[in-house]
Formats: sequence, C-alpha cells, structure tokens
Amino acid sequence: MSTVSESLVGSSRSLSAAKRHKSVRKNSRRIYSAYQDHDQGSSDEEDKVDERVDSDDPEEMFQNIQYQKEIIANIRTRPWPMRRKLKVLKHAREIVLKYEGRLTRTRGYQTAGADMLKKMSRMLYNIVVVFIPWEVRIKKIESHFGSGVASYFIFLRWLFGINIVLTIMTGAFIVLPELLAGAPFGTTRSKTIPKEHLASAQDLDTIWSLGGYLQYSVLFYGYYGRVRKIGSAGYRLPLAYFLVGMAVFAYSFIILLRKMAKNSRLSLASASDENFTFCWRVFCAWDYLIGNPEAAESKGAAIVNNIREAIVEEQEKKKDTSLAVLISLRLLANILVLMSLAGSIYIIYFVVDRSQKLEQEKPELTLWEKNEVSVVVSLITMIAPSAFELVAQLEMYHPRTSLRFQLARVLVLYLGNLYSLIIALLDKVNSMSSTIPVSPANWSDTSSYLATIAQPAASSLSTLVSEISHRNSTITTTATPLDVTNRSRGSSDTFSNQTAQFDKNTRSPQDQCWETYVGQEMLKLSIIDMIFTVASILLIDFIRGLVVRYLSDCCCWDLESKFPEYGEFKIAENVLHLIYNQGMIWMGAFFSPCLPAFNVLKLIGLMYLRSWAVLTCNVPHQQVFKASRSNNFYLAMLLFMLFLCMLPTIFAIVRYRPSQHCGPFSGQEKIYDIISETVASDFPLWFSKVMSYVTSPVVVLPALLLLFMLIYYLQAIARSLKFTNNQLMMQLQTERTDDKKKVFQMAAARLQAPGEEVVEQKSDEHESDITSQDPSIQTPSPQRNGSVTNLHTPGQRSNSIRTITQSASRGELNRAVAGSSRSPAAIPKQRLEQVPNRHTPSLGGPSGSCRSKSYYHKVCNHQASYSDNIQSDPLYRKTLRAIHPVEPAGIITAHSYGGRHGHATRYVIVNEHEPRKKLLRSATRIPRHYLMEEEPAEILELYPCNIKRYTPRTPHQQPHPHRSHLSQQNLNEDEEKEGKRRRRVLLEKAYRPCSLSDLHQPAHFYIGDRVESHMSVAKDIHVGRGRYRSQEEDEEEEGDIRWRGLKSHSRSQDSVRGAEPQLVRTRRHLNSPGRNWQSPTRSRQIKSKTGPNLEQPLTESDSASLASSSDQQNSGTDQYIQVIHNKERYLKSDTRQGKLSKKRFKETLDLDSLEANDLVCSNV
Amino acid sequence: MGNKQTIFTDEQLDAYQVILTKPIVVFVGFFSPSRLHGRYHELAPHLVPMDYTKDPDCKLPLALIVNMPELKENPFRNRIVESFSEDGMGNLSFNEFVDMFSVLSEMAPRELKAIYAFKIYDFNVDNYLCKEDLEKTLNKLTKEELTPEEVQLVCEKAIEEADLDGDNKLSFADFENMISRAPDFLSTFHIRI
Repeated sequence: MSTVSESLVGSSRSLSAAKRHKSVRKNSRRIYSAYQDHDQGSSDEEDKVDERVDSDDPEEMFQNIQYQKEIIANIRTRPWPMRRKLKVLKHAREIVLKYEGRLTRTRGYQTAGADMLKKMSRMLYNIVVVFIPWEVRIKKIESHFGSGVASYFIFLRWLFGINIVLTIMTGAFIVLPELLAGAPFGTTRSKTIPKEHLASAQDLDTIWSLGGYLQYSVLFYGYYGRVRKIGSAGYRLPLAYFLVGMAVFAYSFIILLRKMAKNSRLSLASASDENFTFCWRVFCAWDYLIGNPEAAESKGAAIVNNIREAIVEEQEKKKDTSLAVLISLRLLANILVLMSLAGSIYIIYFVVDRSQKLEQEKPELTLWEKNEVSVVVSLITMIAPSAFELVAQLEMYHPRTSLRFQLARVLVLYLGNLYSLIIALLDKVNSMSSTIPVSPANWSDTSSYLATIAQPAASSLSTLVSEISHRNSTITTTATPLDVTNRSRGSSDTFSNQTAQFDKNTRSPQDQCWETYVGQEMLKLSIIDMIFTVASILLIDFIRGLVVRYLSDCCCWDLESKFPEYGEFKIAENVLHLIYNQGMIWMGAFFSPCLPAFNVLKLIGLMYLRSWAVLTCNVPHQQVFKASRSNNFYLAMLLFMLFLCMLPTIFAIVRYRPSQHCGPFSGQEKIYDIISETVASDFPLWFSKVMSYVTSPVVVLPALLLLFMLIYYLQAIARSLKFTNNQLMMQLQTERTDDKKKVFQMAAARLQAPGEEVVEQKSDEHESDITSQDPSIQTPSPQRNGSVTNLHTPGQRSNSIRTITQSASRGELNRAVAGSSRSPAAIPKQRLEQVPNRHTPSLGGPSGSCRSKSYYHKVCNHQASYSDNIQSDPLYRKTLRAIHPVEPAGIITAHSYGGRHGHATRYVIVNEHEPRKKLLRSATRIPRHYLMEEEPAEILELYPCNIKRYTPRTPHQQPHPHRSHLSQQNLNEDEEKEGKRRRRVLLEKAYRPCSLSDLHQPAHFYIGDRVESHMSVAKDIHVGRGRYRSQEEDEEEEGDIRWRGLKSHSRSQDSVRGAEPQLVRTRRHLNSPGRNWQSPTRSRQIKSKTGPNLEQPLTESDSASLASSSDQQNSGTDQYIQVIHNKERYLKSDTRQGKLSKKRFKETLDLDSLEANDLVCSNV
Repeated sequence: MGNKQTIFTDEQLDAYQVILTKPIVVFVGFFSPSRLHGRYHELAPHLVPMDYTKDPDCKLPLALIVNMPELKENPFRNRIVESFSEDGMGNLSFNEFVDMFSVLSEMAPRELKAIYAFKIYDFNVDNYLCKEDLEKTLNKLTKEELTPEEVQLVCEKAIEEADLDGDNKLSFADFENMISRAPDFLSTFHIRI
C-alpha cells in the first residue's frame, strides 16, 4: 500500500511537502500524537488523496481506489479521534464513489452488488445479535460484578446452546418421528400401561417417581417401537435412535474441541510463562466492567490483597515456616478429603443397595425411600464442596493453588458420585438381565411364553392369570431378585400378594426395560438436583440475604460482615455444578431422549434464578478465578466430564443385551447390531460386501496402525513445534536482553513516526547533540527551528532512520574515539581557573566559523530558517505545552523551564546576529564581555554556542573522516588553535545536506557518536559548557542536573559504540550503579569484562590518545549508569565531581552528564 | 430503521458502521449510535440536541460523563474520559463519546485497546509510564490502602519487570509488550453499554 502510494505521490512531492507541513502543524495540536503510528501516515494519505484526484490514468485510479478501500477497511483499528475517522472515511468514500464508476461500468456494478451484499449481511448479523439470548441480562451482571461472574453466565449460555442443538437432534430425529409415525400410545405392549397400574398412573406419587404415564412416554427408551421402518416414508427409527445417540456425543466432542481450540488461539499470547506479575496486578487488575459500588469495593479489596500477597511472596519466597507442620497439615487435609470422597462413594453405593433391598422387603415405599438415591447424591454434591473448602483452609496453600485443589476435588467428587451411581445402577441392570437366564426353567418358560404371546393380547392375559399365579407360587423364591426391579417401577401399590405376583409376572417382560430404568434414574437425579439448586439458592442466598439485611440491626454482632454475611457467588463451584449437570445429561441422553430438552428448561430456569439471585443477594467471590484463563479450564473439565460420562453409556451399550420387550433394539443381541443389520438388509449387496471387507482384520489392523502412526507423527510434529517455539522464545529473550537497544529504537521510531512534534524534538536534540551542545537547555528556539526545517524536508523518516544512525555509529567509531580521548586533554585544569579559558575557545569557535565562507553560506540558510523559527517559536512552545500539559515537575518541566529560562534574550540576540552573519564575531565578543559578570554570562555564552551548533550540526560527516580526525589531533595539541581547526572542519562540513534533520531517529542513542565525531568542532564548546556547568551547578536546579546527565549519556554512548555490549552494560549498571560510581577503575573493570567489543574500537582508535580515551570511556560508562538512575545519581555525581574536580576525566564526566541529560530530554 | 425520530442520517449511521469496532445493532438495548446518543442525551438533556444530522458542535464536560453508571465506579474514570477527549481536559463531543465506548467494547482489537490503556495510565501525558504514573495508578486502584513503602516496592517491581530498555519507565513498546501477554487484559479492559 505504501509503496504504491509513494510512487504515486512521487510526482507531486513538493506539493505534498507543503501540505504535510500544514498537516504537521495540525497534528502538533493534537495531544496524543505520540503513539499514533498512523497519524503521520494518514495525514500523508489525505494529501495523497488530494493529489491523485486529478489523475485519469485508469491504473492509477484503480490503485487509488484500492488504497482508499484499504483505508476504509482498516479505519476502525486506528487510534484516531472520531472526528478524524469520520472525515477520512468520508473523503475516502467520496473518492471511491467518484472514481469507481468512472473506471468501468462492470466494476461499478460489482461494487454496488458487493455493497448491497455487505449491507444485507450486516442486517442479518444485527438480527442474529438481537436473538442472542440473555445478552442484556449478562451485560447487566457483567457491569455489576465484572467479567468473572459473567463468565459463569456466558458458560451457562453456551451450554444452553449445546443443549438446544442436542434437543433439536433428538427431537427431530427420534421423538417427533416416533410421535408422528410410530405406533400410537396403547397399541403395543411396550406402550401400554399395565392395567393394574392404570389406576395409579396419574397419581402425583407415581408421576413424581417418573412412573405411570411418564414411564410409558417418549421420555424414555422403552417407549420407542422396534419396528424397523415407521410411517409411510419408512423412517428407520431404531437406526436413527442409535445414530442420534452417538451423534450427541460426537457433536458434543466436536463443539467442545472447537471451542477449546478457539480459546487457546485467543489466549495464545498468554501461554508464555513470562512473568509480569506486578505489572499485571497493576494494569490488568481493574475490571472495567464493574459498575456496582459493592462489587467495586470488593474488587478493590481483592486487588489490595492480591498486591499484598505478591509483595509478601516476593519478600519471602524461600521463607517456609515449619515445613513439617505444613506437610503434616496438608497430609491430614488430603486424607480428610480422600476419606470424604470414599465416604460419599460408599454412601451412594450403600443407598442404591439399600433401595434395592427395601424394594425387596417392603411392598410399599415411602416418598423418601423412593427418592433416597437422588436426594443423597444431591445432598452430597451440595455439602461436600463446602467441607472441602474448610479442609482446604488447613492446607494454607496460595489461594490460587487452593482454588485449583478445590476444583479438582469437587470434580473428583462429582465424578465419583456419578460413577458410583451409574455403577450401582448397572449392577442392578446386570442382576435384572441376568435373572432371566439364571431363573429356573419353568420361570423362563413363563417369560418366554409371555414373550411369545402377542403383546396386545390383553384378553388372553386374563385367562392366563390363574396359570401364571399357580406357577408363581412355585417360583417365588427365585423371583425375588426380579421383584426388586418390578417394585422399583413404582408399582408399590399392589393390593395383595397374589395379585402383586401376578402383576410382576405379567409386567416382567415389560418392566425388564433396564434402559428405561437408567433413564428414569438420570432424569430423577437431574430433577432432584434442580430442586436442590433452587432450594439452595433460595435458602442459602436469598433467605440469608434477607436475614442479614433486615436482622442486622437487632442482632448483637454485625451480620453483614461477621458470621452469616451475604452469600458469595462462587464462580468455580457453580461452573463445576453446571459441568456436573451436563455430565448427567450426557450420561442419560441415550436412555432418555428428552433429557436434553429437560436440561434446556432447567438451564433456562437456572439462568433466570441465578441472575436474579446474583443481582439481589450475592456478593462476588473475593478470589475470582481469572475469567479468560479459566474458560479453557472449564472447557477442559467439561471435556473430561464428557469423556467420562460417555464411557458408562458406551459400556452399557456394548456390554449389555438390550431389553427384549421394549425399546427400539428389542430382540437384538447387541444395540449396535442395528448397524450391521441395516447394512446387511437395506443396502445393496456390494455395500455389505465392502463393509465386511472393511471391517475385516485385514483392513482394520492396518488402519489402526496407520492411525497410530499418524498420531505419532502429529505428536512428533507438535513436539518439534514446541521445541522451535521454545527456541524462538529463548531467542526472543536473548534478543531482548542483548538487544534492548533495538527495541528501544523501534519504540522511538514508533513514537516519532506519527507525531511530528515528537520528531521535531528528537531531531532537534539530536542535532544539538551533534554539535555537542545542549540545545534544549540553552536555546530552545533554535532547536525548534531545526525541527521546522525538518518539516520542510520531505522525509521518509522511518526508513532513513536506522541506516543513518548505524552508519554514524559504526563509521565514525575511530573518529569519535579520538574525539573522546581528546576531550579530557582539553580540560586539564580546574574548573574555576578555566572559566575564562573556557569561554574563549567556545567563543572563538563561532567566530572562526563565521569567517569561513561556506559556513556563511550555510549559516544563511540556517539563519533564514532561524528567523522563521523564531517567529514561529511561540507556536512551538505552545505545542510543547500542549503535549505535556499536565506534566509534573518531572523531566519535561525541567526542560521547558530551562528552555524558557533564557529564551527571550536569546532570541533577541539570535535575531541580531544571525541575519547579519558578519556580526558573529562581534557576537562572540559580546559573550566574553559578559563573561566578566557572573550571572548573565550564562546567556551570552549560550548564544555563540547556538550559532555554532548549527554549523557543526551540518557536518554530519561521514564523508570526511580523515580530516576530522586530523582536526581532532590538532585539538589534542592545542586548544588555542581550535578556532582555525574549526574553521576547517566547518568548511568540510558546511555542505552537508540540510536534510540532516531527517536523521532525527533514536537520536539519543547515537548522539554520542556524532558528538565525538564532531568533537573537533564542538570540543571547545563542550569544554566551555562543561565548565560553565560546573560553575553554575550549585545554582542550577534539578533540571540542569539532568541536562548534564544527558550529555554524559551521549558521551558514554559513543565510547560504548556497539549496540549489544551497550545493552548488556546498561543492565549491569542498572543493577549495580552505586558500585560503578565508587571508583572509575572499578567501572573500567566492569566494562572490560562486559564488553570486549567496547575495547576494540578504542584500540583501533587514535593510539596517541588511547589512555585518555579509556578514561573517557570509564567516565562514559559511569555517566551511563547515571542516566539510568536519574536524579539521585546525578546529584551524587555532582558531589563527586566537586571532590574530584581536579581530575580530567571528572571534567569530562561533567560534560558527559550534560549530554546524558539531553538524552532524558529527548526521550520526552 | 425503526427509530421514531431521525437522530442520524443514514449516511452517518453507515459511517459509524464502518468505523466502530463493534458491529452496530440498530435495535434498542444494544450498541448503536442511537442508543449511545440516548445515553449522551440523558446526561445533559438541555445541552444535547436530539437532531444530530447536522453534526452540531456540542461537548459535555468531564464531570457529567464521569457520572455515568458505567464509569462511576471506575477508579480511572477521569483518565478514561480525558484520554478520549481531543482537548485532553475531558470534554467529550458526541463523536468522542462514541469513540470511547467503541474502543472499550469487546470487539475492539487488542492493539487499539493497548494504545488507549496506555493513555489512560499515563497520568502526566508524557508518553511514558513513569514511577509517578504507576504510583497514581496504584493509589487509585487500591484507594490508597497500601503503605507508601508497598507502593514504592510495587512500582519498582513493575517497572523492572516490563522495562526493556532500562530507562526506568515504561514506554509504549514496553507497555504493549507487557499487556499483550496479559491473559485477561482483553476481557477486563472493556465496558459494556
């Protein structure tokens, strides 16, 4: 996109430059320009748009349109203010509209059609969104309690969706066909309520235990007919029943895995184990959704706790109090938990067993006895988690780990419950189905006889009664196990023993329906569970809430904060409960096709009840399990549950013979025989042949092998990917530690590219640094001027940035080093003594430069720009202020203050001198003159510096390394000659392109290099400044100190040179700044250790100045340290300097510090 | 589309559709310009015109917006509003208002959110999260319940963790890097309206 546009723009660049200038101004008004990457680009885009309006070339037009479309497509991801977005969008659209039609007619139609389509799809989407259930409700909850609580409801809704699909599947393919086309109620034996039960079939009691009419309904497996094809269309119900039963699992698996994959893709970024503990706790702690004062308060408290916890953890990571006690406590806790798990499992098994026995012994069962099993199960699921929670307090784990433990235990408990229940049931089923073959011959005769009887032949039944009853008397003993099952059917109201036995026998084939029995149990369990949930919500949450709220006044303690409190909404446990509930559904769905439908109703009820309870009487849990991360955790548990719930069903399907007299698979040996049967009978012959081949071991074994190989292969790939992933991560990490510079650069580029103001500042500082002057302090105006020139130059800054900086850093190595070595030599004397000297060279510099013609020339340009800038300066300042309006006393204020400090006067002077270039000399003299006086000297000195700054800045000078080198040597020899030398250098450098300003890049980093390279030029200035600084030091405020630091930084940078070593060093210094400071020798050692690379440039560099250069470096590193730890270190350094002022390198330190301060400013 | 009076022209609505990060639903109760306008309007019924077809220039001060129930409990409410206002003082025009909730909706891309989160936490608007910003953030977050020492410690630790370039403050790059790894940034940095 950009390349295209660039090429397009190329022709009319001048125009665009002007426009950009304008737009830059506009941008500078904007406050947030700093990180708006696209800001700059977009303004350019606008310009380009304008430019291209006239072009008629179709290709160009097409590209333009494409480009505009891209703008439109991406506009919503851009961090612009709305007004701007609207404007850009309007503009882009206009152009697209205008030109698209002009391009070709067909294209126009195409786009029109596409537009229509888009609109339609949007409408459709809107409609779909409206039908997302409970959106508003969840939204409300979310806004009250935050995302954690809402995640429960979203999960519930998702489960609801799954259940809807399951319901549709079972409803459409099993229930509806059976209802519509199957044999109607009462026509077949399996669909008729036995006569004796007819009377009680509508009793609430019977209905409650899912007997009577409910038992003989589409609710349960037993009702479905075994006829292969039903209805006129020949719907294969049994086949459909089996396939749908399997499809329920398949669909659940697929949807779950898909969701999990999606989630993990979403949270891919967080998969890394990188630690930003504190950052996250600070920046991601607040849930912006929270809109309820109470929730906000508890969230605040939770955050405080969290942070305190983190602090404590950080402080005493290794401190373990009495490990033995802790271990024993945890052991104890685990034993307790295990015991309670085992107890609950035993209880369930016992209850099932007892119910069996009860049914055997007692003809009539009370309501309690009938519902014992499900009630006990539900009670356990309700109570045990709280017990676990109590136990967990013993363990003293970290809250998060304890929550994990809690979840795991509850899950195990639920699973244990379900499993022991299903195992007990299957046990019963086992005994049920085994009674038939085990029973004595005459009994089996009866059953077989009955079986052979046509089922609807009720009339014949009556004749049989006497015979049957007669036989029964003989076999009562053997029939007892069967009785149990019969009674469980809910046929408790038998009149007499005799008739009861008759009942049993007549019903026995029918009641033998273990599938129905299992389905009934599951449905019953589900119902009881729902009742318990509702009751617990009402009792534990609502009543408690009422009591706490209204009785707290008349109670001796504070109910709200002490004992009962308000019920907490325990997300994790509630989610687990949902999972458990869903597990029941999966387990029972095959035997009770309407279970999903029931679950849908249940979930709807739960949704409303829970949301009501949450909003009225719950407070959010203190330790909220992180919503997004837990999502997959929940799903994983759900998957686990699905798998484990599928197992018993599959097991039952595979292991047990289907009931002989009920259900779609009656008469078959195994339920899955329906498939082979269908294949054999209903498919063409070749198909069954193919099937037989396919299912033969010849095919199956290789297929299995292939599957294994595939799995192995995929796993290997996954492992290798993981490996590469890790490697990449390692690489990233090393890069990060090694290459912080790069990152920083990028950041800088990012910051700079968009916001022109920032760019200006940086570039200014950059330039000023080149000249080794501190522009920001001394002359803010020139600085800004420089930026203005920058604005004029059309720049692809981001591109040029890096290359330039690098070349500067590398190419100028030697020179820079030489320069650095030189500087200490230049400052051999003590500060105070040097005061006069200092001024002279610095002043002389400018004067010399003035003499050189080329310099004049350059200066003219600059001056022109200066004057412009001066006028515009107020503007700039404004922008500056706008950028940092709220700035505290920090860096920037210092900057601006320092800048403004001498501003007005400076400007005046500049104005005077610069237009008349020849007067420069006089200008130089003026400072001198001021020198005598103490305070004003400052301002005056600055002037010359400024002037000079421009000159050196121009020389950006890769092309003249030798000369500069020479000049530097000269410098080393004598300070007095600097003026001439400078002239020379200036001559060389004068013709540097004014586009230098484009090199504004991560200025601070390479500033140092440039400084060094220009050392020759700027040396005196440096010296002068340094001294000046030192003089001023005491008077100056913090801001000044900072400036100094900046300088030092840049200095250090040049000495450091290599990016990587530098980075390493920064770390090092960060860690132990104080040490480095203690003695230069130390720091030197460190340096030598850390970066051999560093030393290299030195050795290569001017051998004559080697020693001094090393000194310099040391100082540089020291300064660098300083930079990192801003204030205190600077102060320290100052004091130190005071002590060591006699030493050369200390002097340089001073200078360096100045530069370093610049750096800080540039960052701003 | 079912609106009684026209607050916006179709063109405007269309523009919003393209610009806003969250798909607009034009029905009641959902994220839509009309609904947002309703919210905006009810903040200051006498100030905000009902007819926005001509883009009236009208701004609501920070104090009014901060009182919305969605923002009222948020410790950073002032910063949020300031960050989205063009003048930096918290005066929001309707467009900025829409922008705010668009960025804070759950559909906004992570990068966009990160940018604005950075702005919000950058109290002194210097484009860096320095210690001072962190302190303020912490104090707002915890309602000054932490002792100064604790605050200091946390600030130092946080900076140490996320500061890649060693300048003792967090630039946007640092911040983005850190926030992009946060597991629940996306889910928590959003406001429903």
